Amino acid sequence: MITKEQAQKLVGKVLSFSTFPECDISIGSSERASIRFALNGITTSGFTVSHFMSITSVKDGQIGNTQIDEFDDVSLREAVKRTETLARLSPPNPEREDSLEPQKYADIENYVQSTATARNQVMIPHVRAIVEGAKASGLVAAGFFERAATSSAIANKKGNFGYGRTTDAHLSTTIRNSDGSSSGWASQPAVRIEDIDGEAMGKTAIEKCLKWKNPKRLEPGKYTVVLEPTAVGDLVQLMGFNMLARSAEEGRSFLSKKGGGTLLGEKLFPEGITLRTDPRNKLYSVLPWGGGGRGGAAGMPAGNATWIETGVVKNLYYDRYYARKAGKESTPFPSNLVLDGGTKSQAELIAGVERGLLVTRFWYIRSVNQQTVQYTGLTRDGLFLIEDGKVTGPAVNFRFNESPVRMLQNTIAMGKPVRVRGGEGQGMIAPPIVVKDFPFTSISEAV
Amino acid sequence: MLSRRKFIQSSTATAFAERLFAAQADSKRPNQELESLGGVALAEAKKLKATYCDIRIIRYRRQFVTVRLNPERGTGKTLEVPNIADGGSFGFGVRVIADGCWGFAASPIVTKAEIARITGEAVTVARANAVLKQRPVQLAPVKAYRDRWQTPFEKDPFSVPIEERLELIRTAAAAAKKDKRVFSAGCSLSFASEDKYFASSEGSSIQQLNLQTSAQVNATAVDVAKALSKSRRYVPPPVTAGYEYVPIMNLVENAARVREEVIEHLAAPPVTAGKKDLVLLPNHLWLTIHESLGHSTELDRALGYEANYAGTSFLTTDKLGKARIGSDIVNVWGDRTTARGLATIGYDDDGVKATKFPIIEKGIFKHYQTIRDQAHLIGEKESRGCCFADDWSSVPFQRMPNVWLEPGKATTSLDDLIGDIEDGILIDGDGSFSIDQQRYNFQFGGDAFWAIKKGKRAGMVSQVAYQSRTTDFWQACDAIAGPAYWQQWGATNDGKGEPPQSNSVSHGCSPARFRQINVIQTD
Repeated sequence: MITKEQAQKLVGKVLSFSTFPECDISIGSSERASIRFALNGITTSGFTVSHFMSITSVKDGQIGNTQIDEFDDVSLREAVKRTETLARLSPPNPEREDSLEPQKYADIENYVQSTATARNQVMIPHVRAIVEGAKASGLVAAGFFERAATSSAIANKKGNFGYGRTTDAHLSTTIRNSDGSSSGWASQPAVRIEDIDGEAMGKTAIEKCLKWKNPKRLEPGKYTVVLEPTAVGDLVQLMGFNMLARSAEEGRSFLSKKGGGTLLGEKLFPEGITLRTDPRNKLYSVLPWGGGGRGGAAGMPAGNATWIETGVVKNLYYDRYYARKAGKESTPFPSNLVLDGGTKSQAELIAGVERGLLVTRFWYIRSVNQQTVQYTGLTRDGLFLIEDGKVTGPAVNFRFNESPVRMLQNTIAMGKPVRVRGGEGQGMIAPPIVVKDFPFTSISEAV
Repeated sequence: MLSRRKFIQSSTATAFAERLFAAQADSKRPNQELESLGGVALAEAKKLKATYCDIRIIRYRRQFVTVRLNPERGTGKTLEVPNIADGGSFGFGVRVIADGCWGFAASPIVTKAEIARITGEAVTVARANAVLKQRPVQLAPVKAYRDRWQTPFEKDPFSVPIEERLELIRTAAAAAKKDKRVFSAGCSLSFASEDKYFASSEGSSIQQLNLQTSAQVNATAVDVAKALSKSRRYVPPPVTAGYEYVPIMNLVENAARVREEVIEHLAAPPVTAGKKDLVLLPNHLWLTIHESLGHSTELDRALGYEANYAGTSFLTTDKLGKARIGSDIVNVWGDRTTARGLATIGYDDDGVKATKFPIIEKGIFKHYQTIRDQAHLIGEKESRGCCFADDWSSVPFQRMPNVWLEPGKATTSLDDLIGDIEDGILIDGDGSFSIDQQRYNFQFGGDAFWAIKKGKRAGMVSQVAYQSRTTDFWQACDAIAGPAYWQQWGATNDGKGEPPQSNSVSHGCSPARFRQINVIQTD
């Protein structure tokens, strides 16, 4: 792991080789330990250290970039030279923003030493608890446990310098019965590895697997659904990329207004919907910067932003270039998302549904229409029928075609938010929610 | 054929990696310094009583040039936004078996001391894992090879002046944008090389160079009054080849077509949902082959090794040799030897020589894709050479070879496929794709769609996706065009595994017809 002092030294070297007016540097290093398991045993595991440096040189708007992971003097000198040669050959980039002046970065480090140093002695007992729980029920466990520690630095020729560290851990498990006719799943991300509870997670997945026997084949159509927090995160995390001011103004977004302009300030969602970026949330471990755009424009101090507030589109994402063009302040990037909720438990939400479906998570979610944010995907590892406020039995999986925009517009109740991470994407902080008219379009026999 | 030495000299790689991967022209032996570094891992593993060890020392180089033409906010003036990058990565990964378990460790510091340290880490990982050993790892036998292999190429892409590449993509982007109704357009050209050295305790020492070339042209049209936008792309087949392939891509010529078709797409009426006959072109069908036939015939999925992530497969081992997947005309191969295929290589990451094998014969499932530690689980004596890792820092595991569909009769033309359709759709290019975790239910979009009415191609339609079930779909395949139409497309970002890895893979096919498939109207 590259320390602050090492990063400063590397930056000094690179800048000493630079002959162009602007030089932006980004350095990253990581150490990861992981355990993969399947068929009730560990399969592949690894311990990986890595580092990289990205160097961008700019003169008169002409830009050249390289990425390297050899940090000796010869390599660094050649890398800087390469970027300057590339820049000379490139047409000027009219959307280039000048390198940032020195920034003041807040101290928002949420780095946990126990996560950063955890190895097999700490991690294997959680895997063992899951595997033994599965075996005791005659079931088969698979899963993945990874912890990562990273350090990052950004710097430029104007004297800006930032350094940050993160840690994170994530355990997930899929429990199947021996003939493959039933499946359950659970997952937990945590900054502090001590917060991971393999045994509890195993119990959740085992319980789902045991309950998902002889699923009922329901007709495709629109259903009221109770989405577990992971299922909510699976779809709402995709909203972040769709809050861009530029695509909204250019007529390419769900936030574009017919005839021109944007839907900023319009109440598109019910009162209960508030979607925010919150890098200071203790459930996240983030860097002190986040946003501004690509390349040299990046590195704006991390900050909070509210995208949707009590149903109203409150802010759009402006990178530094587009903000300058529009005469606006640039905003943080819509990551580290939090969908606010209420205080109800998931059980209370289920109790309020006369007939509907409980969704554990979604899978293979892909864009169908970028403009309406329509996605398709499937339910997986636990779809259950709700009747008269109670879970009455399992249901065969469905494919859906729906936009998280419409889904939030159709949200009728919300529970308590937790941090989630599904099978795709980095996840977010999301509550369980109840949604009416969720469209399932075909049946999937997959387990 | 360019010599390797000249190739290296033309690049701007750093001194140490450059020296390591240089070799005498036409040499069939790996670089001695690489062999010496590899020997450190093998010796250390032996000292620590590991029963197997392999090391991969790899250098990547990735270079891309891209240009985007879009209107400036406020003035509407077209701005040309370029992006040029030339980077790489260099490091090694060591894999061992100790106490019957796999262990893996990796580092970007390529020195003898670090190789010894990391080998020790890999053994530590393996030993720790032994407490939860399901069964001892058993490897299928493999021959020992000492060899060099490289992608056949004529012109080193990294030696072509950047100016020449820039001129080409700027011309292509301008051709795509040359109509006021086109809102934005872009073109990109990418090259990647992988210099890989592999040594194993089985006695192999193999050096390989893999070279990839790819490009894309795209355009977007916007109707502000309706707040509606549509796009169109031309993606020539990404290949393993050198710069000699670039003129064949016809980027500028196709950019003009993209320009016309994006405007047509913006005005195209939405499809009417219902059962329709489909004619799928190779630049679309490759992805359906990949998702429905490629992934379902991976042995690791069938056995449950991917259960927590990508999923398992409906093709369980009891179906091997028996199950009907497609109609009699459906013949599918697994192949790491296909010319210009993205998964084409000399040896896999188990050190197994590249091979070709039938996956589906006359519609019947015949063989899984396998690697050394799985072959015995289905009673096979040797691996089918499907082991691959996407980086020096990644664990090798089972990845897909090029999986291709045999063409139909030489006399069958694309017009023959269309001519026999009353109400259908012709689909060009890939779009949205999604398939369940056992590869039954899928839904695919596309990049452009034309109605077929009474045996003739009619106007463009939009908002099309089709949903089907793998076996229903392939059994509904009643015609495949002849070898003259066979083309392979592919992708470099096929995801699988935890932590996730990307595989490069190609899928060749001729246009094919599928009867009465469920078409839906999307947003």
